[in-house]
Amino acid sequence: MEHKKYVWDPLVRVFHWSLVALFVTLALILDPESALHVKLGYIVAGLIGFRILWGFVGSRHARFSDFPPSPRAAMGQLGDIATGRKRLHLGHTPLGALMIYNLLATIALIAVTGYMMGTVRFFGVEWVEEVHEALVGWASISVIAHIAAVIFESRRTGINLPKAMVTGYKATPQED
Amino acid sequence: MKLDRGSLALAVLIVVQLACAAFFAWDVVADAPGPGQMFDTHLILEAVATVVLLVGIVVEWKYLAMLLRRQARAEKALHVAAGELQDLIEKYFQEWALTPSEADVAMFALKGYSIPEIAEFRGSKEGTVKSHLNGIYRKAGVSGRAQLLSLLVEDLMAAPLGKQAA
Repeated sequence: MEHKKYVWDPLVRVFHWSLVALFVTLALILDPESALHVKLGYIVAGLIGFRILWGFVGSRHARFSDFPPSPRAAMGQLGDIATGRKRLHLGHTPLGALMIYNLLATIALIAVTGYMMGTVRFFGVEWVEEVHEALVGWASISVIAHIAAVIFESRRTGINLPKAMVTGYKATPQED
Repeated sequence: MKLDRGSLALAVLIVVQLACAAFFAWDVVADAPGPGQMFDTHLILEAVATVVLLVGIVVEWKYLAMLLRRQARAEKALHVAAGELQDLIEKYFQEWALTPSEADVAMFALKGYSIPEIAEFRGSKEGTVKSHLNGIYRKAGVSGRAQLLSLLVEDLMAAPLGKQAA
């Protein structure tokens, strides 16, 4: 028996997968010097702006108030992992929430430094480019950690998290 | 769970060290020689340092997990002589080589919670709790919950608690 619960609204899901596609395209595929890089960069900035706005006015589990950054809750989740307990989190888990704030902030800063590189004031300034690239490195490490954590948590709790981000429903294993 | 500053600091340290390890690993991979080229000493040292750092992180995680387990189990602890009693219980759990899940279930069982209650605390199925309990009884060499408890009671009566023991 499975118990399905609707958690992610369509805009959250479209945001997530658009960001995935754009990050992969910009960081791995596209020539950084190309004009398209800049255009897609604006779209990333727009996406982040939208997600921050959606964090205040969006659906229940999309709101920041639904997943406030909480060291206490994060330690509680680590405790669950250590003791083999499976507490159910409908929206973002506390550790997942920390990763989301990390990724939102990092990608926002990547967009800001990217934009700065095109301005007269900062054109050709070395540190801006250095910071831009270092942040992309940090974001890449974070993405790898995010994927690893999602796989680990899906296996641990028996809830298919990637599927939930596609369908919007978290299917939780139920008592027979 | 109550927020323990020591555990939180350790968790933050682990995250920072993980970030450092990722940075060094990234660097090693970026500097790795192509096919046919020799590895230079610097790169080997860097790779070894990265691996050692990762080993350290694993050890830290084991320690943190142990701390968190203790805290989680102490949550609904008996108030009388909780510290010493818990030490004694933890010692037994280690001796029997209980898995983290089994130790968690065993602690709830000792506190007298029923199987459905334990299943609810842990977010698992009753069948899972039952199989954990069977594992616990088998490892402890007892026939059931009453005998498990009597093992501890026997020890408590044999040795005075806390300061008196010194």
